[in-house]
Amino acid sequence: MPIRVKVRNAETGSTVDMEMENENTMDEIVRGAASFWNKNPGAYVLRRGKRLLRGSQTVLEVGLKDADELELIPDPEGGYRAPPQ
Amino acid sequence: MTVIRPEDSDKDRWGRSRLIDWLDIEQVQSARYLVLGAGALGNETIKGLVLSGARDITLVDMDHVVRSNLSRCVMFREKDGAERRWKAEAVAERAIEIDPGARVRPVVGRIEQLSDDEWKTYDVVLGCLDNIAARLHANSHSYFNGVPYIDGGTEGVAGRVQTIVPPFSPCLQCGLNRSHYRVLERRHSCTGSELTYYRPAMAAEITTTSIIAAVQVLEALKLVCGRYDAVIRNVMHYNGLRNSWDELELSIEPACPLHIKTS
Repeated sequence: MPIRVKVRNAETGSTVDMEMENENTMDEIVRGAASFWNKNPGAYVLRRGKRLLRGSQTVLEVGLKDADELELIPDPEGGYRAPPQ
Repeated sequence: MTVIRPEDSDKDRWGRSRLIDWLDIEQVQSARYLVLGAGALGNETIKGLVLSGARDITLVDMDHVVRSNLSRCVMFREKDGAERRWKAEAVAERAIEIDPGARVRPVVGRIEQLSDDEWKTYDVVLGCLDNIAARLHANSHSYFNGVPYIDGGTEGVAGRVQTIVPPFSPCLQCGLNRSHYRVLERRHSCTGSELTYYRPAMAAEITTTSIIAAVQVLEALKLVCGRYDAVIRNVMHYNGLRNSWDELELSIEPACPLHIKTS
């Protein structure tokens, strides 16, 4: 049975509800949320409370429940590269 | 009988630092530091280390100074940009102006050129890098050689610091997900050679850079003074627009190759 969690965009504060199954991974949630907000193609991590969630973890392994809240945080790589001439 | 004068404490360069009870200046001075990257974060990190009393630092960078670095790099001067000096050499020279007793050895080249034999001679490695591939190299070589690694990263007014103490902590690779690997894949061809890939990343913002570098240096000081109990567990994220700090826990990734090898 699917559960519905809230994913918060750490950069803007906006949220989106995401429906997921027990076998969905955190990688899939990162990709879905970053795509929804048209994020730059950079690196992002997910947190739940005080824990960072690993990409390979499933909804079941993390123990996500209905109405839980996750936050999508940009993972700074650093270094500005000028656009190619 | 020892006779002291009121102004004696002003003559000791680290007189004030010695008032911080856990901060062992002799340990700070005798430790060996490896700093990877001499960009904005590397500049601030070297500044913090040298002011804190570090005397034996190796600084690795393969790039040269350009004028646009000057708004974020405290150690660079106009002439460095005009002369396209190597960043590592310019920083090393300025560090000695801050403390003539400090020795910053510049290495102009890629971090991959450092051998494992050299890597294991350091007490702590500070990563001030600008890409995931170099971070993974620093992470694996530090972990493999049992040297604590403090990774810093910034983008605009956001930043992160991860402190990795092998073999106890999860490593940098444990926290990567597919979004990191997609960034890596875009930068490398199927032969492994680096491609010219443009990602519209935000540049570093100097106050954020200073904050992140300061945390990295403080983490290094804690480690060389044996305050393992006080280091970040495991990743600290900073958001300058929200004025927030979050210390986040990360667990070891069972499939992480570093942990499979060391367990």
